[in-house]
Amino acid sequence: MNVKVQIWDWPLRLFHWLLVLAVTGAYVSGELGGSLTDWHGRLGSLTLGLLVFRLVWGFIGPKYARFANFFPTLSGLKSYIKGDWRGAGHNPAGALAVLALLTVLGWLVVTGLFANDDIAFEGPLFHLVDKDLSDKLSGWHKRAELPLLLLVGLHVGAIGYYRLVKKVDLLRPMLTGEKQFIKAQAPRPMRGVSPPRFLFSLLIAVLAVWAIQI
Amino acid sequence: MKIKVALGLMLSAATLAAFAGPVEEQIKARQSAYAFLGWNTHLIKSQVSDHPETYNKEKVIAAATVMAAIAKAPLLDLYGPGTDQGTGWKPSHLKADYFQKQDEIRQINDTFAQEAAALQAVATQGEIADIKTQFGKVGAACKSCHDQIRVRD
Repeated sequence: MNVKVQIWDWPLRLFHWLLVLAVTGAYVSGELGGSLTDWHGRLGSLTLGLLVFRLVWGFIGPKYARFANFFPTLSGLKSYIKGDWRGAGHNPAGALAVLALLTVLGWLVVTGLFANDDIAFEGPLFHLVDKDLSDKLSGWHKRAELPLLLLVGLHVGAIGYYRLVKKVDLLRPMLTGEKQFIKAQAPRPMRGVSPPRFLFSLLIAVLAVWAIQI
Repeated sequence: MKIKVALGLMLSAATLAAFAGPVEEQIKARQSAYAFLGWNTHLIKSQVSDHPETYNKEKVIAAATVMAAIAKAPLLDLYGPGTDQGTGWKPSHLKADYFQKQDEIRQINDTFAQEAAALQAVATQGEIADIKTQFGKVGAACKSCHDQIRVRD
């Protein structure tokens, strides 16, 4: 007997899919360059806002959105490898990948703020550093591309592996928020999204994006 | 007659090498060209994209004219052997790969010259939207070369 339990709250899902769009768009516009370079910058700013939102949400959001809920520990990883892990949110290996992905994106956003393309584009905080440092950060921005692609590949590959080999659908829960559980193992449903907490997280994210423009 | 032509060719080759000068001079000259190119590029970007309220048709035409002239100049003559190593105003950022990719780079350089000439043409017409679009095409040509043969910091 299976039951569906709400695991991923709607702001978290919205964050996830907006991040997919922003990062895909930033990647494509960055590769193509030319007139699209300005869009690369705008999508980078959107990514900053999304990451800041996720950071705050990771502390004040519902249970499964919190870093404390899924922060990978050695014992957690060991039990996951043995197949004993019985959590409901991110599993320990998935959590490692999530944190690595967020770290690489954070690195891309921060270096991008100070970057320049030696053509006609400067990141919004370029004026705060000298050109030599900006050039170095631009190089490190570009060098983060491969780690990003590898992690995205790992993320998507793992979802495919779960779907095909372990017969677990991870995609649908990120759309609907609900995961299937055997009734005896089902976790208690999480509390709903608190509007003040959501608005607070959104406010911090908007402030961050606004702050880099001045 | 044949000897004269051969002699003439040899002489002009020698003169070309003399014009290009020592490694440091070649690197300095091309770095100067790109620095001035960049200054003009930023003038246009600022007036058509970031601060369109400051758009000044004559200044944009002047900047586009400089860009087209630099793009048309035989800058690839300044990429002689050894210029991936030396220092001009600052260390060379040329990848050694350049010497295997010269045909490809020559094509990109031609595209760059064509796009910059087109930019000069639309600047003369004075439609900001058209200038912006064409400016993007010049930038794409810059990028395609940077991606191939420019060392990243």
